[in-house]
Parts: sequence; C-alpha cells; structure tokens
Amino acid sequence: MELIGYSCSYIPVELLSLTGLKPYRLLHGDLQLSQKGERIVRVDACPLVKSNLGFVFENQKRFACIIGSTGCDMSRRMIEAIKFTTSIPVYIFNNPRTDNFEIFSNEIDMLIKELEHFFHRKFDKNLIHQESERIENIRQNLRQIDARRRTNPSLLSTATFQKIVISYLQGNFGDIKSEIPEEMSYKPRVYLLGSPVSYESGPIIELIEKRLRICGDFNCGLSRALYIKVVEKTIEGLKQAYFKQPPCIFKRPNKGLYEYVEKDLKETKSTGIIAFVLDYCDNFDFEIAKMEKRFSLPILKLKSDFSLQNISQLKVRIDAFIEVLASYRGGIV
Amino acid sequence: MKKVRELTPKKIGLNAWSNQFEKISVEIIKKYKYYNNNEWGIYLSPPATFMVYGARELKRLKFDNSFEALRMWGFVFNETERLFRARQINKKVIATMGDLGTVPVLVLSFPDCVPFYPECLWWTPFFKESTDLLDTASKLGLPEATCFSRAVASAFYKKSYFPKPDLIIASTGASCDDYSCVMQNVEDMGYDIMWIEIPYRKSLEFLLTRPKQQDLEKTKSGLVYIKKLEEYLVKEYHKIWQALFKLTGVNNPHRFLETIKKVNRLRSLVLEIKRMNSEADIAPLPALELMTIEFGNLYGYADFDEWVEIVQMIHDMVKKRVEKGIGVLKKDAIPIAWVTPSADPYLLNLVEDLGCRVVETEYVINQAMVQIEEDIEPFRALARSFINASLIGSTEERVKNIKEKIAKKLIKGVLITNMLGASHCSMETRIIEKLLDDVPVLSIDVPAPFGITQQIRTRLEAFVETIK
Ligand code: SF4
Ligand code: SF4
Repeated sequence: MELIGYSCSYIPVELLSLTGLKPYRLLHGDLQLSQKGERIVRVDACPLVKSNLGFVFENQKRFACIIGSTGCDMSRRMIEAIKFTTSIPVYIFNNPRTDNFEIFSNEIDMLIKELEHFFHRKFDKNLIHQESERIENIRQNLRQIDARRRTNPSLLSTATFQKIVISYLQGNFGDIKSEIPEEMSYKPRVYLLGSPVSYESGPIIELIEKRLRICGDFNCGLSRALYIKVVEKTIEGLKQAYFKQPPCIFKRPNKGLYEYVEKDLKETKSTGIIAFVLDYCDNFDFEIAKMEKRFSLPILKLKSDFSLQNISQLKVRIDAFIEVLASYRGGIV
Repeated sequence: MKKVRELTPKKIGLNAWSNQFEKISVEIIKKYKYYNNNEWGIYLSPPATFMVYGARELKRLKFDNSFEALRMWGFVFNETERLFRARQINKKVIATMGDLGTVPVLVLSFPDCVPFYPECLWWTPFFKESTDLLDTASKLGLPEATCFSRAVASAFYKKSYFPKPDLIIASTGASCDDYSCVMQNVEDMGYDIMWIEIPYRKSLEFLLTRPKQQDLEKTKSGLVYIKKLEEYLVKEYHKIWQALFKLTGVNNPHRFLETIKKVNRLRSLVLEIKRMNSEADIAPLPALELMTIEFGNLYGYADFDEWVEIVQMIHDMVKKRVEKGIGVLKKDAIPIAWVTPSADPYLLNLVEDLGCRVVETEYVINQAMVQIEEDIEPFRALARSFINASLIGSTEERVKNIKEKIAKKLIKGVLITNMLGASHCSMETRIIEKLLDDVPVLSIDVPAPFGITQQIRTRLEAFVETIK
C-alpha cells in the first residue's frame, strides 16, 4: 500500500505525507470510472464523485486509508460509500462551512492524533518542520511555474501546467521539475473556475487552449493548492495557512471567493471566464448567474459529465465565445 | 358538530368535507383562533376554501373526516395569513433555515417572536399545482435538477409568501447542499443572514482509531458522538441567543426552560400518535395527516401554542379510535416505511389507496422528535437533541430504526421518494436500498407538480404486489 487518499484542499498534505505514504488527491473524472461508481450511487451524483469511487474500487489495494472532508455534501458521502463497499479505513475531516477556526483547529489536532495512532508514528516538532519546509518548497517551485502562465504574454499553457500539478496532487513530488520549455501565447486570455477539473480533463483543456490561453484559475484540480503558503513551519502555522487559503465556494457566506477571484481576474488580465460545471454540482451551478453579474466579463459555461462525446459542439461554442470576447468593450458585450 | 365527531373514520374529498362543514355551529367555528385573537384569528374552514385560494391539489387529495383533522388543515393552510398578521401586530418574524427543528426552540423563548421555516414552502408548487415558483427559481439561475426546496429562493424574491423576516438564521455545514445553495442565493438577494455552523457527527466507523471513552458521548437513542460536537453547537446557540436578545431587549433564561417543556410536550404527543398509529390493528390516521403532524414539530406552523392544542386534540381522537378498534385503512393494509418526505403530498394518498400503510418514517426531521433533556443546562440539552439529526451523520444511522423494525417483521417494504439531483438523495438512495435489502425497496423520483404519471403508478402497484 503506497497511497493515502484525500479529497479536499483543506486537508494538509504535510500531515498525510508524514505517514510515509503518498498523499493522493482523489480527482478522477472519466466516464468509465464514473459508470463503475454508479454501482453504489445514483446516476445523478456528481461525476467526479462517481469517478473517484470507480477509481477507488479498482485500486483498493493501493490505499492504506482515505481522508475525506465535509466540503460538499456529495464528497462527504463519497467517503461513506467507500466505507460501505471496500475495506479501506476511512476518516472524515469536519471542514467548517462558516468562519469557525476553532472547529478547524480541533479537527487538525484530531487528525494528527488519528494518523499518529494508526500509523504508529510520532509527528514531533522536527518532523513537522522538515515536512512543512519540504512541501512548501515544492509549492514555491510550482508557484513560480504558475507565474509563467500568468504573465502577459503567457509563457506556459495550462495544459502543460496541469501535467506538472498532477504530480503534486498525486504525491509524486520528485517528478516535479522546473525546466519547462516556453510556450509563449498571445491568444485571448481567459480565467478558469468551477468544479474541480479532473486528472483526465487534459483533452478539454487542450481543446480550449487551441484558441484561447487559460492564464489563471480558481480550481481545485489546478492551482488551488498552491495558494496555500505555510509561513511558520509548525502545526499552528499549518492550521493558519490551510484555514486562510482563498475560501472555497462552499463557505457561507461565500463572498471571500468572489473577492479573491475579482482580484485575480485583474492580476491575470483575463478578458473572459470559463466556468466549468460538472453535472449536479449544485454549488457552482447555483452561482453562475451571480458570477455573470459580479465579474462583468463574458462567461462561457461548460457543463460536463466528463464524456468527450460533445467535443465538436464544444469547439463551436469556444469559437462563438471568441467572437464575444472580441466584441467585448468596457463591460458591454 | 356532534354528528361530525361521531362519523365512522374514513378519508373524504372536498365536497364531502364542505357538506360536513355545514353542520358545524358558528360557536364552534369561533372557538378556534390563532394568536388567540377573536377578531381575525378564526381559521376553521373547509379545505375547499383553500382550493379556491389556489391550493388546487386539494381537489385530488383525500382527508381524514374528523373535526380534529379539519381543525388541523384550517390552521396549517392559514400560515401565510398568520405570518403577515404577526407582522401587523408587531410580532417579530424570524426565518429559521436549514437546521429543522432546533433553532425555533431558542426563538420561542423570546416574547412575541414567531419562528417559521421557509423551506416548508417546497410543498407549495404541489399544493398549487403550479410550477411558478420553480420556474422563477430557474429564471433566477437555480438549476432545475435540484431539490424542490429551490422554491424558497423564489418566495424570498417574490416577497408575497411571508413578510420580510426581522432576522434570518441559516444553518449550514454538514447539512444538505441544495438548501445551503438556496440560502446563499437568498443572501445574495440582499437579505441579511446570520450563519450558524452545523458540524458533522462522526460515527466511529469514520475514524481510523477508537477515541478515548472520555471524548465520546451517546444520545439517548444510542448514537455515539464526539463530545466536541456538543460544545460547538452550544457556542452557536449562544450566538443566536445574543442576536435575539439584541432584537427584543429581553434576556429571560426561565422562559427558555418553559419553552423546552412546551416543545417536549408537543414532541411526546407526536411520538405517541406515531406509536399508536403504527401499533394499532387498524391505522387510526392517514399518512397525509401524520406527515403534516410530524412536520409541525419543527415550529408549530407559526403559532406554537395553538398547534400544541391541535395536536393534543388529534392525539385524544387517535387514542379513542384505537380503543374502539376503528380507523381509516383496511385492516390488512401492508405496513411500509417511508424515507425522505414526499415532495408531492398526493403520493401519500396514492400509496394508501394501493393498499399500504405507513408505519415508520425517516423524513430527515427526526431531530425534532427527540425529547430535550430538562435536567441539564438548557443550551447543552438543546445541542444534545439536535445531535440526533439525520442529515449530519451516516446513512446507516439514518435508517437504523427502520432496519430494527424490519428485523422484527413490523415493516414489509420501504418506499424512498427522491428528488432528482438533490445531493443527499443521489448519494444515499443506493446505500439505503442495500442496507434494507431484507424487504422490497422502491425508490421513485418525485416529478414536478401534477406529474404523477401512469408509469409511477404502475411501479407503485408492482411494488405493492411484491410485498403482498
Ligand atoms: S471545492 Fe472546496 S470543498 Fe471541494 S475539494 Fe475543493 S476545497 Fe474542498
Ligand atoms: S429534501 Fe433533501 S435536498 Fe431537499 S432540502 Fe431537504 S434535505 Fe435538502
């Protein structure tokens, strides 16, 4: 068993990797895996959740345990479904939805205790310091890579960036290199947000980037984890860094997300937004109308179940979006 | 009036009720009033009245023919009027959202504060046989494949279903996502919301190791939880108390204890009605009325005192029916359990017409059925009662009661009503089906208003046949 699975950006990777296992973020999105997941959940469950279930069913032997979180209702219940169908030990981290640091802090303490007992290890100060420094350096390296796609002109495609980030998300930290060939682009600059893009979403990103350049994102499958900056390399420092990360859409009220994205849209000089929404992902679906109003930039909403069947239709929509971007001036389309 | 009371119990339609109503004397009609107001508080009227006012589904429904049920329906359907009246007479109208049954106990502890649950509006499109609220929700950008509770966002938007609340307390956290999104949308419309955290109840299977005994606690129904959960809730309830204190200028802990007693009285009456209903040879009360009574536990349909009296009256009537061995369904009606409330109330009627009898329910409101302990610190007692909530824990815990009754052969089948796209339905239904596989389980998606198709009927018929 080489992996410790986890499902949310609020779960500190540092603590998971202290177990000696690879922290593997469950971020699968593939139609076949999704169909496997339907063995235990209904067809109208989120495709990411279904695919993750499918992946876990197929790779049971690789997981020493899986740490879930209460981020969204379906993702919380995904851990239950895993418990119900496999013998993998699971744990659910209670991620508060309101600005309640006390709950978060207690939960981290509890998670540490649980991991220590379960893996017979002591996470002492030194270990925490070392691991926090190691992973923070990796994130720092990734942030520098990320900065290249954010510059104007953008020097790196998100398609390439995703491949690098996947190594981080799958716990293959050693695979992350800093030398990456330049891919300068003057294509229209767009920002991507929405439901997490999955490991298998490469073709969709590549398709978008044939005509556009994604030069920033607020997405759990891309740069989200990199915004976590651990300054003080202690448990307290980890708690602060993870709790204060740019807030996810599930937080109530969720104005922090809007403030963050608004600022980032300006910083990345994005001229449009691509909102990637998975079928039945309420949290994003409910917010699209508000996003359209709030960000006053053209939005292309891509609804997906991870099947690539509608790829030609997608091409047409991207072309139409480019026309909208071209005609967009000073807040008026 | 006497004649009405002596009738043999049965389910009747609107016309029959209107005929019966004529026999009720003016004195009796004047006797029952909300907010104890003689002038405008009278609420007894035949269900046909509410159909004329727009609740068109009533013409398809059948009701218990007792005076007690009539009183209940008059009161329940009067709620919108009651809330606007409350505002007119300077009561504070407090919207409580998402926690289902616990925050109102705090609200009721303050004078002239009326709690209500906007989410109960999810029945409105069905009762009105109108998709207007749901269409408005779509126009507001709320997706169609979500729970019918999205109607609530439209009601806030339209401003005609209840007065603007003096305070909105919204609970989020380990609750359902659809409704949390609805509440966020309400806030985005410009309503001020006080957000309350509902923490997740970890059961031991979702931990890697067993925690120390001193960190654990058990609810009276046997649910084990981590003590901290109680502490978190207590802090949230104190926050609410402070907000209500600020709103009313009153801070009277004695009233809190009184309210807990009153709430407990209602809850034990309802429990007793449920018990009698499931144990009697012949079902003394139809499922539709029973569901309405169960939901009344949440907040007493905006006049708690009057609601308690109504339920007391129904309780006494049910008791008499049981003693006499009479009821509304056939003796051989098949006992089933119902999981998740039926968005379309008509389904409850239909299932009974097909020969079933609902003897156990899991409407995700069981936390409102629990007795609040009276001999411990009241905030803690309240937290402990909420910890039993269905939605904050595991699916296995959710159906524990049903499983036990199946093992005792008291339940022969389980019906699950789903909302397509509702977060917990999509994740839980298959697991529930597997957990309860000792009996036939049927899960159906509740279609939009007026959408019960022949296909659904056929599936229900087939289900009943299998259990027979
Ligand atoms: S979207 Fe939020 S809750 Fe979901 S995985 Fe990302 S951080 Fe966690
Ligand atoms: S029925 Fe389910 S999805 Fe709908 S509001 Fe209730 S708990 Fe939420």
